[in-house]
Amino acid sequence: MNVGSSKWGTSVFYVVLIICSLVFLLPLYLAIVNSLSSWYSAPTIVLTGFHFENFIYATTLIDFLKFVKNSVIICAIVLFTSTMISGLVGYAFARIKAPGRNVLFMIVLSTMMLPGIVTQIPTYILFYKYNLINTYLPWLFWGLGGNAFFIFLYRQFFATIPKELEEAARIDGCSIFRTYWNIFLPMSLPVVATVSIMNFQGTWGDVMTPFMFLKQDLYPLATALSMITYQEPGSKVIIQQVSLAAGILFMIPVIITFFLGQRYIVEGIVTTGVKG
Amino acid sequence: MKEKTRRIVAFYLMISPWFIVFLLLGLYPMLYGLYLSFTNYYGFNMNNLKMVGFHNYRTVFTDSEALYAMGRTLLVTVINVPLGTAIGLSLALLLNRNIRGGGVFRTIFYLPSIVPVISSVLMWRFMFSNDGILNSILNLFHLPRINWLGYDYATVSLIIMLLWGAGGGILINLAGLKGIPKELYEAASIDGASAFQKLFRITLPLMTPVIFFNVIMGVIGSLQIYLQPILLTGSERSELLTRPIQNNYLYVVHAFLQIFAFQRFAYGMALLWILFIVILLITIILFTTSKFWVHYETEQEG
Repeated sequence: MNVGSSKWGTSVFYVVLIICSLVFLLPLYLAIVNSLSSWYSAPTIVLTGFHFENFIYATTLIDFLKFVKNSVIICAIVLFTSTMISGLVGYAFARIKAPGRNVLFMIVLSTMMLPGIVTQIPTYILFYKYNLINTYLPWLFWGLGGNAFFIFLYRQFFATIPKELEEAARIDGCSIFRTYWNIFLPMSLPVVATVSIMNFQGTWGDVMTPFMFLKQDLYPLATALSMITYQEPGSKVIIQQVSLAAGILFMIPVIITFFLGQRYIVEGIVTTGVKG
Repeated sequence: MKEKTRRIVAFYLMISPWFIVFLLLGLYPMLYGLYLSFTNYYGFNMNNLKMVGFHNYRTVFTDSEALYAMGRTLLVTVINVPLGTAIGLSLALLLNRNIRGGGVFRTIFYLPSIVPVISSVLMWRFMFSNDGILNSILNLFHLPRINWLGYDYATVSLIIMLLWGAGGGILINLAGLKGIPKELYEAASIDGASAFQKLFRITLPLMTPVIFFNVIMGVIGSLQIYLQPILLTGSERSELLTRPIQNNYLYVVHAFLQIFAFQRFAYGMALLWILFIVILLITIILFTTSKFWVHYETEQEG
């Protein structure tokens, strides 16, 4: 903004930005470099080799693919149900006037504030009581209920759409549900993308819920990686390089989805987050 | 009239999936947990529960481990939340100008916050290990090596790892900064205000609602941390039910271990309800202080 000191200012400014970036990237860089070095070698700051086989070992020393499959099943269940239902509920809260709406929406907001663990552990006890432990049913139930934060995001988005659209649809004889499905939902694709990505990242990375509700055979990758260590058969020494490789493999889907949807997430938070 | 009924029916039909699940898997478990916290439930006596009144709650206040863990949790929160909020805001301030490559930097700062916990623990544990990288870097500068995951530094290490993800706050901060009217800065420039004055007289006051939001969410999240200490400073074998090192023995870790390692369900529920009340109290306190330092647009108009 100040024209006078701009050249000096800008370069100092870039130096600060670059130093900050290096600090934030350092762990990722070191993880990559070391995941490519040979087994049991001392931790290194510079690239010492290209032992890509570590990544293969990461997927073969444990039942990696089975856990990936479990993760995919859980994510698919939650993604499909929660993304859809949250949209429907968010739409109702944003566009349909009915008695009790505000009170109900306050409930949605307050469940966002509630520490998840206060309901999760009694839920575990209940499921345990009714023998629903060790199935994926809890995820289906939770998914069918939507998610308070996603409902909130959808509602904020739908609330910005002009009223005329709805009226036009009604005059054309469109039912409320069809108005949602054919007009509002297609318009909300950025929110659908944001919610799907956040939903996926949250479910994929969740360690504790599967730990409570499932046994090892059904664990998703997140829980499996926190329970199982990489060691040579017969040995007790952890192979750090392979562990790191597994850690990197584990975050790749999250990072890919982030890059795919970054634009929408940024937009979504800018348009909905602040006014909340 | 008929139109109105149709609308009401549609509304309740559309929210019913959420509402039913909320009743069955939200409200009911919550109250059920509250009920259990007044019983002697320890895993095998479901058909033979006895009401024990406030016994479990009294136990919390005589349980030195619970009190210790609460103290550590508050300490971690008091360090982690202000620092995390400040980092998120500072990075956003750095990015909030039209510079080349701004998007790239934004992505770099934001990226660590989406790295799943398990991956970041694997990376940080490796870096913190005794002959790990951080110590070799210290070595380069002829500094003494630090036992990062040992007793003295475990909490520091935990907080470093948590702060690595502090860039998650930049998006909402950037959104807030974009919302500050340009005219204010222009007017200030005309009046000859320095960049420093603009920051402290315009930007920061107008950002207080966002800062407030970040602090509230940060506190709520921070008081519930339990996975990171267990994974980072628990056993090398990465068992989820091992105790982390004493300094990182946080409150929810304690509750979690009581429930899943020792089957003390009733007591564990009492621990969690007390946490819930603590969170509520702190939130209420923060809200009451907010009128002294949070700037709201509506005041201006009124």
